[in-house]
Amino acid sequence: MNGFKNLTVKSLLGKPVRTIVLVLLTALLTLTVLDGSLTQTSLEKGIDSLEARLGADVMVVPYSATTKQKFEDMVLQGSTGYFYMGKNYVEEISQIEGVGEVSAQFFLASASSSCCSLPVQIIGYEPETDFTISPWVKKSYGKKLDTYDVVVGNDLNAFVGDSLYFYGVKVNVAAKLEKTGTSYDTTVFTNSDTIKELIRSSLELKMNDFVDVDPDNVVSCVLINVADGYNPEEVTNNINLHVKKVKAIQTKEMISGVADSLSGVSSVIGILIGAVWVLGAVIMLLAFTMSVNERKKEFAVLRVLGASRGKLASLVMKEALLTGIVGSAAGTLIALVVMVGFGGLIEDLLGLPFLLPSAGAVAGYAAAAIVLTIVTGAAAAAVSAFRISRIDTGVILRGDN
Amino acid sequence: MNMKRSKKALVLDIILLVLSAGLTTGVKTVFSACEKKPDGMWMSCHWAEQAVFALGIALTAMAVVNIVLGKTDIKRGIAIAMVPTALITAFVPNVFINLCMMKDMHCHEMMRPAVIVISALIAAAACVYAIIVREKD
Repeated sequence: MNGFKNLTVKSLLGKPVRTIVLVLLTALLTLTVLDGSLTQTSLEKGIDSLEARLGADVMVVPYSATTKQKFEDMVLQGSTGYFYMGKNYVEEISQIEGVGEVSAQFFLASASSSCCSLPVQIIGYEPETDFTISPWVKKSYGKKLDTYDVVVGNDLNAFVGDSLYFYGVKVNVAAKLEKTGTSYDTTVFTNSDTIKELIRSSLELKMNDFVDVDPDNVVSCVLINVADGYNPEEVTNNINLHVKKVKAIQTKEMISGVADSLSGVSSVIGILIGAVWVLGAVIMLLAFTMSVNERKKEFAVLRVLGASRGKLASLVMKEALLTGIVGSAAGTLIALVVMVGFGGLIEDLLGLPFLLPSAGAVAGYAAAAIVLTIVTGAAAAAVSAFRISRIDTGVILRGDN
Repeated sequence: MNMKRSKKALVLDIILLVLSAGLTTGVKTVFSACEKKPDGMWMSCHWAEQAVFALGIALTAMAVVNIVLGKTDIKRGIAIAMVPTALITAFVPNVFINLCMMKDMHCHEMMRPAVIVISALIAAAACVYAIIVREKD
């Protein structure tokens, strides 16, 4: 039966509209399943990364800072800003019952970064006491940061060895952080000595909103890990009760809003994937059924020419597999271009922490989406293949059916 | 030699023109670079946008000439010339000309990927054109 060898391809090319529709449908299925599942995973990874990035149980900031809408955006979304409180609060807070590790941080927003664009957030930390930023910096830079050394977030267009200018002070890029999917990606980190110099320079240039600040005697926030045997809520209440003009906030409470939004978006994406998948499967089932009904006489002739029932069934299945392979390959390509190329835009539109999985994991998702689509197409075609294998050739050719 | 244009050559001619014109107009509208800074200065991504616009005009002109001309050899030559032009265009944002500081800015999120994707499609279509469109077509 060599005549049947290229029948699958010829049959598909012979009905280009039907073939294009089937290929587009399988491409759409793959695109939806792959991009939907990658978005869900990226959001989950983003919230995990945000939890890890906050890295402390309690954050203490000046009370005046919490009254501004920008405060949470600053901590969670990476909006630029700064506020200060007396350094004496660090000592006072560390005396509160239940307080374990304590480390101060310093915030500053650059007026404009050296190359051209919008202000970036600069965070200074004390390497001796820090337990939130150092673990991230260590992943990219094993050495101690010298004065005027900075570590830049992954989304900043600066590279190791570059020089940047903030308030006229030249700093050197010592390392670039791995992608975190959070506001860390657009932040510049440095040690407390360097940021004090930058704050001093911003004051001298009269570009700092706080005109009477002594950089050596202020901090922006105090991060706390509670001591063993205490819970963060208890310690937060203790600080709010005993230390005036500051506000202690549990970091878990800060991200609860983000986690709720993420859960909502994730559910919507899940429903969308399910709906498109069911719809696609039903349309494919109908398409193969209609196609086989239209071609009953063609199959009957093939039977007369010597094709077995199994051969006819395999012809239908091969057509489904071929359209499935081509469609899912095209869908995967488009899905990866959208997700990898425009991931930043998707992150911006969602306004949630977003961290794409590793290349290996993305390849795994792509392979799973391709398999799922091909299996769905094959299952839809199997019904028609079974029906066509049982046609009564005589009845069909007489035109009774 | 003047040849009657084949269907596949015509389809590729149209694809090349649509993509080139889309790149040229898109880089000034849908996927343009960032806006001016508050002090009225342009950011560096603006110059990448200008360079892509200029290369887009060149690509569109080549695509138009390709449609107007009838000689297959010249058309193939133009298609071959479009391949490196499109690839150079893809590398303009952030390779030949730096974009803005933060990757969450419009030039990184929209302009760069859109220019890369469209330029790659132009290069691929031009390659296909050069390979499959022969005199017998």
